[in-house]
Amino acid sequence: MLQSARTEGFTLHTYSEVEEVTGFVGNFKVKIRKRARYVNKDCNGCGACWEVCPAYGYNEFNEGMDSRRAIYSSFAQAVPSLAQIDMDKCIKCELCKGACEVDAIDFDQEDEILEIEVGSIAVATGWDEFEPPTGYLGYNLYPNVITQLKLERMLAPNGPTIGHLVRPSDGKEPKKILFIQCVGSRDLNMNSYCSSGVCCMISIKNSKLIKQHSPDADIIVAYMDMRAAGKDYEEYFTASRKEGIKYIRTNVSRIKEDPETRNLKIVLQNTLGSAGLRELEYDLVILSAAMVPARGVGKIQKLLKLENSQDGFFKEFHARLNPIDTKIPGIVLAGVAQGPKSIVESIAHGRAAASSLARLMGKDKYRILLIRAQVEKERCAKCGLCELNCPYNAITLKDDGAEVNEILCRGCGACLANCPSESITLRYYREPQYERQIDAILEEI
Amino acid sequence: MAGTIRAQYPATLRPVRINCSGRVTPSLMMRAIGKGADAVAIGA
Repeated sequence: MLQSARTEGFTLHTYSEVEEVTGFVGNFKVKIRKRARYVNKDCNGCGACWEVCPAYGYNEFNEGMDSRRAIYSSFAQAVPSLAQIDMDKCIKCELCKGACEVDAIDFDQEDEILEIEVGSIAVATGWDEFEPPTGYLGYNLYPNVITQLKLERMLAPNGPTIGHLVRPSDGKEPKKILFIQCVGSRDLNMNSYCSSGVCCMISIKNSKLIKQHSPDADIIVAYMDMRAAGKDYEEYFTASRKEGIKYIRTNVSRIKEDPETRNLKIVLQNTLGSAGLRELEYDLVILSAAMVPARGVGKIQKLLKLENSQDGFFKEFHARLNPIDTKIPGIVLAGVAQGPKSIVESIAHGRAAASSLARLMGKDKYRILLIRAQVEKERCAKCGLCELNCPYNAITLKDDGAEVNEILCRGCGACLANCPSESITLRYYREPQYERQIDAILEEI
Repeated sequence: MAGTIRAQYPATLRPVRINCSGRVTPSLMMRAIGKGADAVAIGA
């Protein structure tokens, strides 16, 4: 990110949102809303402002486990290194204005609408963690049931607990930790897909990290199947078992909290053993929740008219042969926007997306098929049905009749099937051609 | 459609390839029926 921001000819719009996309491959026009951060570009990220700020908000970066000021930097390595003000929390005392040595704070800043022209678009919207329903395996009900992302922040040296793992209920170090895999994934009632083995590998990694900090910790991973597929992954899994992390193949059937100790009583059965149902008592339970498409991704889908796969991720051109491009020329997918992926796969996918666009944009020409709708303007009644029915927004109604954009048009023919005056034809697939085909097929009857 | 599930179409079926099911007009279907087809199925 830092490297990209420093690259010449590369413009980074952070804290911004795409509002409108028009045009076609080579000539997209994009409207971007650049949100007001109430801090201008002179900010050098020194932090003098947030030291004096008296208003607090939840720190989203640490999953709400600690606080930040109303004027803040989203996280330590944020690019660009600029402060921003959360106006919901700001009390407008303007103490930050006094503390700022470079006069970067501007309370009158407004959202900026930028209109830019681009040749192609890569959709890299990423993912969010699945939020289990309240009460499911004790989530949101018992404080010591947390999801993997919260654990991840706790274990991070720059996290809310400076890398120390503590129980949310009493701040003590947990000694008995249970990971539950496939929360919200491989479950027909929630998400039927597997999050590509990512949650398996995260559990292995985090259990190893916990073991490093406290070697006497008792860690169990309750799994459905451990999916350690990939280079060095199986070895990593084996290493974690050698370190003493236990893996139980099971479906956790019940979690109840002991109201006094806030410990969790877990009922499970090792389906590879013969011990039957057992009740275990653990200090902390980590739910390995599924990867789901980033929240708000539906808006991008509507803007770009992309298709969705059944799992809610964007649909690619072909699931096996071309998982990079979309069906719309000039728009490609990168990373988890297309489906759950590990870091390795995301990088490979992103680079593939970049080279797919480079190949497209490197040429001066763009070849289209000639199977396109044509309008006989003399016959057009300008009813606008075609414009309404075009799935690709390729038809616009002009004063002298409907007009087809031959680059946007994909030659599906939905317009001409709906045209009451029969003024649209599809090149190479005209009505008489079909009529002859039908006649010939039915000749022998 | 049937090909991907390793099934066979009945021998009496005559496919006509069309770009998109949206392209099918009522007049094409009526023409087929008028020429003696028992039914018209649109596969997407």
